[in-house]
Amino acid sequence: MNTPDPEEPLSRTLADWRVTPPRHPHFRPDVWSRIEAARRAPTWTGYVRAHGALVAGALMLAMVLGAWTGRERARERDAAARATLVADYVHSLDARWMRLP
Amino acid sequence: MKNLLLTLGILAAACALSYGGFYLMSREPAEVQQAMRAGDALAWLRTEFHLDIPQYAAIKKLHEDYAEVCAGHCAAIMAAQKRGAPPADIAALEKTCVTAMTEHFKRVAALMPPGQGERYLAIVLPRIADFDHRGAPNVQVKS
Repeated sequence: MNTPDPEEPLSRTLADWRVTPPRHPHFRPDVWSRIEAARRAPTWTGYVRAHGALVAGALMLAMVLGAWTGRERARERDAAARATLVADYVHSLDARWMRLP
Repeated sequence: MKNLLLTLGILAAACALSYGGFYLMSREPAEVQQAMRAGDALAWLRTEFHLDIPQYAAIKKLHEDYAEVCAGHCAAIMAAQKRGAPPADIAALEKTCVTAMTEHFKRVAALMPPGQGERYLAIVLPRIADFDHRGAPNVQVKS
């Protein structure tokens, strides 16, 4: 590895470079206030209690929606299966269908 | 934000549970489902219309007997078509077929438990009218 030449402009610039960030007088209090805020954040049960009516309504809606779609889906599936079976059953006793290609 | 996401997750889970529960509760009984899956019409009749063993045996016999009558109608219609019979003759044969089939369904319904026969006729009789000469009808059964 080559040792940088101290006379090189980049090395000189880097050697002279000083970072002087502006002072932030409220840095510590800000950090502590954020820590406190995080500590005071409501638990989930607290959150639910705070939004009780909304959560209960949404829960009711979700369950009704699930129940309705589940029931409709079951009925659709059974109706389709029954339709196929009934059609086959009736056609098997219908001489008119027997001559179709 | 975390609480909101957790709440939404619980709502989604409740919705899925409710869907699954009502889906399973709303399906036909397992025996009916099995008969429909297998395409077994006689098993379907037995389970769907709550037939006891003597009723099932009598209806099975009726179907077997009618299969011969139906084959006779089929042969007559095909023979008429083959010899190029006039449309009126073919229509008359078809009418005979429809009349016999309707009577057969009514005889089957009469063997069923009270109330079930009417339900059976409400399901099968409209299918007779579904026939058209262009091809298979679009059948929909509403229970």
